[in-house]
Order: sequence, then C-alpha cells, then structure tokens
Amino acid sequence: MNAIEISGLCKQFKGKRRTCVDALKNLDLQIEAGEVFGFLGPNGAGKSTTIKLVMGLLRPTSGTAIIMGVDSTLAESRRKVGFLPENPAFYDYLSAEEYVAFVGSQFKMDTALLKRRSDEVIKQLDLWEARKRPMRSYSKGMIQRVGLAQALVHDPDVYILDEPMSGLDPIGRALVKDIILDLKKRGKCVFFSTHITDDVEKVCDRVGVIVKGSLVAIDRVENILRSGLEGYLVHLQLSDADAGTFAGLQAVRRTGTVSEFYVPSSVFNAFMGAVNTSGKEVVLVETKRRDLEDFFLSLVTSSAQESR
Amino acid sequence: MATIIHITLKGIFRDRVFQGIMVLAVLFLFIPSAASLSMRQMTELTTTLSLSLISFIMLLLAVFLGATSIWKDIERRYTFSVLSLPISRTTYLWGRFFGIALFMLMTTVFLGAMALIAIKAATFGYPPSRPVVWSTIIVTILFDALKYILVVAVAMLLATVSTSFFLPVFGAISVFLAGTATQPVYDYLQTPSVQAAVSVIVRKAAETLYYLLPNLSGFDLKVHAIYSIPFNVQGLILTSIYFAGYTLIILSIGSFLFAWREMK
Amino acid sequence: MSVLQRPVTALLVGLLAYGVVLGPFTAYMKQKPIEEKFGYLPSINVLRYVSVDHKELVGASLVMKVIMYFGGVAEKQQANVIVQPPDYARMSGILHGAVQLDPYNMDAYYFAQSFLTWEVKQYQMANNLLDYGMKYRTWDWMLPFFAGFNSAYFLKDYKQAAEYFKRAGEINGNELNISLAGRYMQASGQTELAIAYLGAMEKSERNQAVKKNYQIRLKAFNEVRRIELARDRYKNTEGVLPVTLDTLVRSGLLSPPPSDPYGGQFFLEPDGKVATTSKFTFAGAGNVSTPKVSK
Repeated sequence: MNAIEISGLCKQFKGKRRTCVDALKNLDLQIEAGEVFGFLGPNGAGKSTTIKLVMGLLRPTSGTAIIMGVDSTLAESRRKVGFLPENPAFYDYLSAEEYVAFVGSQFKMDTALLKRRSDEVIKQLDLWEARKRPMRSYSKGMIQRVGLAQALVHDPDVYILDEPMSGLDPIGRALVKDIILDLKKRGKCVFFSTHITDDVEKVCDRVGVIVKGSLVAIDRVENILRSGLEGYLVHLQLSDADAGTFAGLQAVRRTGTVSEFYVPSSVFNAFMGAVNTSGKEVVLVETKRRDLEDFFLSLVTSSAQESR
Repeated sequence: MATIIHITLKGIFRDRVFQGIMVLAVLFLFIPSAASLSMRQMTELTTTLSLSLISFIMLLLAVFLGATSIWKDIERRYTFSVLSLPISRTTYLWGRFFGIALFMLMTTVFLGAMALIAIKAATFGYPPSRPVVWSTIIVTILFDALKYILVVAVAMLLATVSTSFFLPVFGAISVFLAGTATQPVYDYLQTPSVQAAVSVIVRKAAETLYYLLPNLSGFDLKVHAIYSIPFNVQGLILTSIYFAGYTLIILSIGSFLFAWREMK
Repeated sequence: MSVLQRPVTALLVGLLAYGVVLGPFTAYMKQKPIEEKFGYLPSINVLRYVSVDHKELVGASLVMKVIMYFGGVAEKQQANVIVQPPDYARMSGILHGAVQLDPYNMDAYYFAQSFLTWEVKQYQMANNLLDYGMKYRTWDWMLPFFAGFNSAYFLKDYKQAAEYFKRAGEINGNELNISLAGRYMQASGQTELAIAYLGAMEKSERNQAVKKNYQIRLKAFNEVRRIELARDRYKNTEGVLPVTLDTLVRSGLLSPPPSDPYGGQFFLEPDGKVATTSKFTFAGAGNVSTPKVSK
C-alpha cells in the first residue's frame, strides 16, 4: 500500500478582485511506505499548499489525498503521521516537555511509553536542558527541534516534514539528516519539502520537483544523478615524453607525473581498453556530471521560459 | 478533548491578561468601606457591589478569553501544529470552549467565595432588614456564570469566522449589550400604545432579533440575591434549558464554520 | 546627557505645569456650584439600557449620589454656613429614577420620605412613591408606616392612615402600628405621633448627616411636647389657655425655658397651638417651603 496517495489534487485561492490563483494544479503523486521522498521547489511553488492539503488544513478545490488508506479530510488520516509545520509555532506558555506530552496524548500513547519516548526524543534533539522552560524563551532553532521532537514522539509510520532544515545551524541540519536516514533504515516513510537540493541528494530515495503549482519532474535520485552523467576525468601516471596525449585525447592538466584526461561517456570503454593494453597506471577516475542543483535549476528555468 | 481542556486551562492561568483581570478582584477589599456609605442597607449594598464586581470581571474574562483563544491560535499559527494532530476541529473547538467554561466556573467559585465573605462581614457590621439567603446568592452567581459562558460561546463563534481580533471582541460586547436589552425592548413593543404606533415591519424585525439574540435578562437574578426574594424555580429550570440549547446551537454553528475554515 | 535631555526637559515642563495648575484647579473644583456636582445624568430610559445587568448598582449609585450631595449641604447648614437650600426637586427626580432601575432599593424610599415631607411638603408625592415601593418591598413595614404617618400627620386623612398602619402592623406583627392608628388619630396627638415616628427613624438611621437631621427635629418636637404639657397643666389649674410662653416659664411650669434647636423662638398661637419662628428649618422664617432651583 502507498503511504501517501495524491490524485488530481487542485487548489485555487481567491485573490483580490475576484481573481483566482492556482496554487496547485492537478497533482498526482504516490509515495510508498518506507520511502524517503524529497519535495523540491522554489519559494511559492506550492510545496506548503500541498502539505497543508495532505494534512487537512486546507480543503482541496478538487482531487483527493489519502494517507495510509484514509482520506485526508478525516482526522483519522493523521493518526499515523508525524507532522512538522513550516516555521512551526507551539503554545508558548507550555514547556517542550509539556508540549511533547500533549502531542503524545493526542495519539493515545500509553503514559509510561510516552514518558520514555518523550525523554528519548527530547535528548535526541538536544532540548534536555531547556525542557522545563516555557517555549516563549526558546530560540528559532530550538522551536524547530521541538517541532521534530513532537513529530517523532509517537513513532509513526509516515513523516510529513515541511522544510525540516530551515532555521537550523549546520549541526542541527546534520542531526536532521541523521534522523531521516535512521527513519529510512527503520522502514518509515518520510515526505519532506525543501528548496535546498543538497538535503535531497544526501537522504532521498526519490525526488519530485514542483514549479508554479505543477509537478515538473519526479524520479529516483540515482536516476537523476545517472542521467546527468557527462563523462569521466581519468588520472594516468605518464612519463614526460607522452604526457600530452593518450588514445587520441588531449590531457586537460598535468600535475607532477600525473596527466588528467576528460573522457566523454561514449568513448570511455575504448579509452579504458587502451589504458589496459598500454599497461599504464590509473591513479583516479572521477565522474563528471551535472548535480541535482543544476538539474533543479534547469527545470525551474525551462518552466519559467515555457510560461513566458 | 480532555487534554485540550487541560492545556486551555494551563494557558489561561499562565496568561498575563488573566492575571491582570484578576487583579480587579482586589476591589473586593474596598466593598465594605464603600457599602458603609449606605443609609441602612449596608448588606444589600455589599451584595450589589459584590455581584456587580463579579459580573464585570466575568464579562471581561468572557470577552477576552472567548474572543482571543481561537483568534490567537490562528494568529500565532498554533493551529497548524494542533489541528494537524488526529483530532477533529469540532473536538478542538469544544475542548477550547469547555476549558474556558470550566475556568469561568472556577473563577466563579473563587469570586463567589470572596463575595460571600464580604457579605458575611457586612451582616456583622449592620444586620440586614431581611435575613440573607445564602443559597439564593449562590444560585444567582451561578446563573451569572452561565450567562457569561454563553457570551464565551458567542465570542468563539465570531472568532471562528474572523481573521481579526475586532469582530470577536466588539461583536461579543455588542451581543452582550443587545442580549441584556432584548427583553425590555420586546416588552415595550408588546404594549398596546406601541403596537398602534410602530409599524408591523419594525415590530417583526425586533421580534426576530428577540428570538435570534441570546436573552440574557433571564440570567440576571441579582435582585433576588440582594433583597432575598424567592426564585421562581420553574423559571430557573427553563433558563437552564434555554442556556443549554442556545449554547449548543452556537457551538454547533461554530464547529461547522470552523471545520469549513481554511488554515492558510 | 544628550540622550536624556529631551525626556527630562519634557518631564520638568510637565511637572511645572501640573504644579502650577494643581492648587487653582482644586480650588475651582471645590467652589463649583453644588448643583453642578450632580453632573449630567442621562435620562432613566437611557440608563436602563446602558446599565445592562448592573441595574441595582446604578440604582444604588444614584441614591448614593443624592445622599452624599444632601450630606454636604446639610453639614454646611448645621455649621451655620449660608448656603442655598438643597435642590430637592432634582434629588426627588433622581430618587424616582433610581427606584425605576431597582424598585427594591430601601435607601431611596427612606431618604425620599425624609425630605419630601418635612422640607418639601410634597406629601402626596411621597405617598405615591411609597405606594410604588410597597408593591415590591412587600415585607417592609416601614413603607406603610411612613405612608400612614404622612396621611395622619400631614394630610390629616385618618381613614387612609389607619389602613396604612394596619398594613404595617400586619407585616411586622407589632402592635405599635395598630395602636398608633388608634391613639394618635386626632389633632391633639400629633406631636406624640411625630415624636414616635422621629424616634423610630432616628434609631434605625446609619447615615450621620441624615441621623443628625432626625435628632435635631426630634429635639425640637420634644420641646414642643414639653410646652404642650405645661400648657395643658396651666389650663387645668387656671381654666384658661396661657397667652405667652413667658407666663408658663414664670409660673414654674416650664423649666428650663424651651430652646429651638433650629435657632427660632417658640410661641403660642391664639388657639393654644405651639409654633416656632424657625418653622422647624434652619433657613428660618424665610422662604423654605418651596424648593428653589438655582437659575
């Protein structure tokens, strides 16, 4: 069963002077259980709108979103979901401990288990020292970590995280990546939005790119990385005499006794064959490819041009 | 819902607005000296002042708590985190309401106890012309609380549709003012001379408002408490049922509107 | 220095202005005509809706306003400071308004009774107000007692008075009222009736200004009673009415000589009735019977 199933989801907002703004256009998306899905898009692309529709905070204009087989308009659909809102805010008169306990009780957790899990997640997110202080005294990063703690406490199967890395320092970001990787290891489904490609590349199984309310690409991360492959940089140990060329290719750089050759994918096999027969020593082979950032930027620019 | 009620109560007790309003309870200390200015109804005046002070504090609490709880949750974006929990919006709204209602009852008990002490003290200073009937005073304070709980419901209903703080606050105050005036206006319109003078349309409109707005005059039993006048028990039962019915309707409409509302 | 200069200067200027105006302002407020101190009061129909569920409070505060105003004027009168008589018409109007807001307010009836009769001489108005109160304060024997006194003493309507006293007696089960009806229902018993009434009023009064008022009047009527007794004894022995009080004093029947606490002189009218030049008010023989509204 798919953890999240979105079909034909549309959302229009009424703008000023009776205009309608299409915030989301006909989104179809299936996210499998046990999958980490990165939802990538520039600011205002419709990521948060999608997530709010899935969480039942907004009503779809048309289409449906189903979580673990339950329609998202029903409160029951959120029973197995841990949700982190974008730039979260929590009752600031409560302490982190009280809030996490409140969330746990909403998921009907057993008191002893809740206490144990609450202590665990609070320690995990480095809030232990501050746990008894009211949250109005917390920094932005601490609130973000409370948001993650309350999403994790009841150990749900599905995690929906809206910009989980925002507001965090590098240590916090690394912590979140670790947490997501750990969830992946434990077979949980994580659906998170971001506009930072690096986050996606490190932790995601699949990625969807949304631009101006439309899903413009969806693929496995490794496919994108692979499809972006352009060639290799081969470092060979060569004597000064034949340092300049090898197998008909010009060296792009020479450092010491090592020459670097740029080998397009199409001739890589022939080139390596030549290396093999010549008996020269291969020091290093680097893949030369477009990264996810380039992929993302090219999609955003192309869709911007289309609409023009 | 119990946990929502619980955090609502926590929130109110930790709120500075509440603490500020409760400072008004200090005024109870001045009631005996103010009442001693009366010619010969010191106890009656103490009762009047105590009941009015309770009413006033409760009105402030009802308007501010009722109007700001939902509004603040939306404004400060608490709704995103809370409404994405597996609870329905109805549960949330009703939890909020019952939390505030429970708080109002707790405040009533506290303020009521202070009032009883003040009145008891007054009876020592100058015996009242009629014996004080404590049960009457307690019932009066209780019905006062019911009235303001109804105002809370109205304020919350307005907060479910409003994006600003003004509609629930001033709307609730207006409904409160109108609610206390509907009965006298209605009675006035029923008199034969007025029936002849006022057009049917105006009378029908007034009558519609009379049934639409909460009739808060029925909850005002102060005169019974001050002068130890016996209650009409049947009337009290009818008032209680009226309270339950009206509040239920208001809350149901509120939950319907709140469920329909989008959390942008 | 530079940061604080402006706020400090502003504060100093403010303090200076406040200090300069404070004395004159207080003096101005103090010497404001007393009628102005009543301030503007919205009509009772407006107050009824504005006071929402605080009708009893608003009613009580109206009564309080009148009592305090009266207390201020009365104190000055008793201290022999020349002031205008209180604005009785306005006081009566406000008390009538107060009982519309709270028809149970005891102070309003008691206080209205105390000045509508002796000072203003609006006996029927007083009784109408008391009748209104009796519809609500059904347990309060004082209201019919007042009304009975007014009927008997001022209006000389003994039949009506008997009915009021009977009603008062029924409420408090006290024979006093019933016997009052019987004993004082003739002109000769008037002074005793007044003394009984004033005694009851004085005893239960808490407001010092009003209580003092009753005490003075009670003192005056006790003097009248003393003169009446001396007069009657003189008539018993001599067979004729004395012409002047001096006759009574010289014959030793009236000792010490009577003194009017209102500052007037007692004298005997030709029919033997005891009267005083003060007419039982501080304003003396002047124009006190009709309330003067300052223009």
